[in-house]
Amino acid sequence: MTDAAAIQARLQALCESYAAQLPATIREIRRQCEKLRDTPTTDDLKILYRLVHGLTGSGATFGYADLSAAARAMEHCLKDLQDRGSVPDAPYCDRIETYLQIIESASIKAHDSSRPNLSAEQRIQQSTDMENRLIYLVEDDPHQAQDLSLQIQHFGYEVRIFDVPEAMETAFQQQQPAAIVMDIMFPDGELAGARAVRELKSNCHEPPPVIFISSRDDLAARLAAVRACSDGYFTKPVDVTAMIDILDHLTAHRVAEAYRILIVDDDKVLADHYALTLSQAGMEVVTVNKPLEVMTHLQEFNPDLMLVDVYMPECDGLELAGVLRQQPDNDSLPIVFLSTEDDDALRMQAMRLGADDFLFKPILPDQLVASVRSRAQRARVLRAYMIHDSLTGLVNHSTTKDYLQREFVRACRQGTQMAYGMIDLDYFKTINDTFGHAAGDRVLKSLARMLQQRLRKSDVIGRIGGEEFAVVLTDTSAATALSVLDGICSSFSRIRHYYDGREFTVTFSCGIATRENGDNTAALYQAADQALYQAKHAGRNRVLLAAGAA
Amino acid sequence: MSTHPLQRILYIEDEPDIQAVACLALETVGGFTVEVCGSGQEAQAKGVAFAPDLILLDVMMPEMDGPNTLKALRGIAELSTTPVIFMTAKVQANELADYRAMGALDVIAKPFDPMTLAQQIRTIWNNCHD
Repeated sequence: MTDAAAIQARLQALCESYAAQLPATIREIRRQCEKLRDTPTTDDLKILYRLVHGLTGSGATFGYADLSAAARAMEHCLKDLQDRGSVPDAPYCDRIETYLQIIESASIKAHDSSRPNLSAEQRIQQSTDMENRLIYLVEDDPHQAQDLSLQIQHFGYEVRIFDVPEAMETAFQQQQPAAIVMDIMFPDGELAGARAVRELKSNCHEPPPVIFISSRDDLAARLAAVRACSDGYFTKPVDVTAMIDILDHLTAHRVAEAYRILIVDDDKVLADHYALTLSQAGMEVVTVNKPLEVMTHLQEFNPDLMLVDVYMPECDGLELAGVLRQQPDNDSLPIVFLSTEDDDALRMQAMRLGADDFLFKPILPDQLVASVRSRAQRARVLRAYMIHDSLTGLVNHSTTKDYLQREFVRACRQGTQMAYGMIDLDYFKTINDTFGHAAGDRVLKSLARMLQQRLRKSDVIGRIGGEEFAVVLTDTSAATALSVLDGICSSFSRIRHYYDGREFTVTFSCGIATRENGDNTAALYQAADQALYQAKHAGRNRVLLAAGAA
Repeated sequence: MSTHPLQRILYIEDEPDIQAVACLALETVGGFTVEVCGSGQEAQAKGVAFAPDLILLDVMMPEMDGPNTLKALRGIAELSTTPVIFMTAKVQANELADYRAMGALDVIAKPFDPMTLAQQIRTIWNNCHD
């Protein structure tokens, strides 16, 4: 028998090469779609059909089930045309465009951490690991349903559409969504939607949140929604940005990032023992046995808290604290000392040097975990205020710079790729002037959210100026960065923003640089800025690579 | 029909990505001997020399699709009775009947699970030879 692990490894390699060529395939499909829209011919239709058919067959094999499903829907639509021997007219092209957008977003979603994988067991494992982002949309008007579904999908949700509540209830028995978006009015009753939800909620232990959408703004309809224990109510046309706010809030069960603890102790056995205790409590731990090596780890590991032994050769714990407290970057890092003696004088000296706590060895595991956790938690809350932009929740300018520096150093050392993108909203001043600053703020928030949804959790997203954003993409080539940001650029341009009953769209321009653009972050920054300038100059609403990016 | 165990498979599929996974599934996992053809024409040229026990045929291919390839292969004396299994992304009940009427043993749906594809083919083979 052949080794199963070896087979899995080869399958994985095939998956990776498939993933690598996928953006090019999808770009090819988009080109073909555009060609068809300009001059529709049956030959071009045939080519497009072949391309899409290829995706249908291959996507799911390589772990892109959503992609296959979307490609299949598009394929049916094209087949139908082909069988009738006709070519697509403008409305048909719009329909094709809708499918294409879903395909594009399905292919980008897989760029997200969901690795393609192949054995049945792994698939099941993956589906339980994945965050539930499925939304059931119940709406009897197919046009409105399609439209709203597409808008919601732009923010990284999966949407299933049902035309009547009963159909949704059937699906609900099979699979529970993260949330339900329900129209109130249906042909069988003015408040049929609310009634259906009330029944569903009473028959279900842990019902998912429900948001109602309705063309009615009267008290009776709103009251019916409240009585059905709704979690939100939106009048049509739905303000998608506001709805996503609520959906994000209702469906968020993100696991908090583990606390990062740096242990500095020259006694390796003891350090490993503490490390084990803390990591069993779910923390991420790095140990350093030589105090002089602390600086490199501080930069890269970015700990929430440092646990330091007082007595060490080379440089004792107190001296180390003194050094760190003289550096602005490390001034806020909580430092907890570990010592064998109960010496008040020593403790006073430690406190004076900026120690946050003083623990005595031997310490019980539970006690160590409790002290470290509460300190780390408070430090993180305080730091969150310091490093985040209050409007968008993204990291602020100086923190983005820190992250860029850290990732750059790491990428150089490990010889991996990294990309830095600078994003600037187009004509943002006009939005503020025309619709007011509140409308502008909402646009900023919606871009922030889209970036968060579409990029990986390991990527850094910062707001570095009024309408300027920056992203640091780890382990990412220029081509991948271009394809991902290009997808976000085109999705964002299709988001309809509502303010005060008026509807508008906004675009952005973006410049990307990679490690190849220079040997320090200043050079990277300048290259990205230059590419951004060129993108603006070339007509905006586009993403450009800096010359020499790879 | 022969009753000897299944060993040699002539596999016709135009997508290189699928080819790679299927070859892994058939050769490494399944232990079969496989000859891969990228088109119906190639299968016509290579089929006789390879002398397959079974033909595994993708339905949807440019130029010469699966059913037409089958017709062409049936016209070659040495391959006129070789059992055939179709592979396709769209299996609908009426299509299934059509493929059976063309003489296919069965139809395998895409996407297939590479870890179980070989077993699936063996099961079809054994059912038809019992």
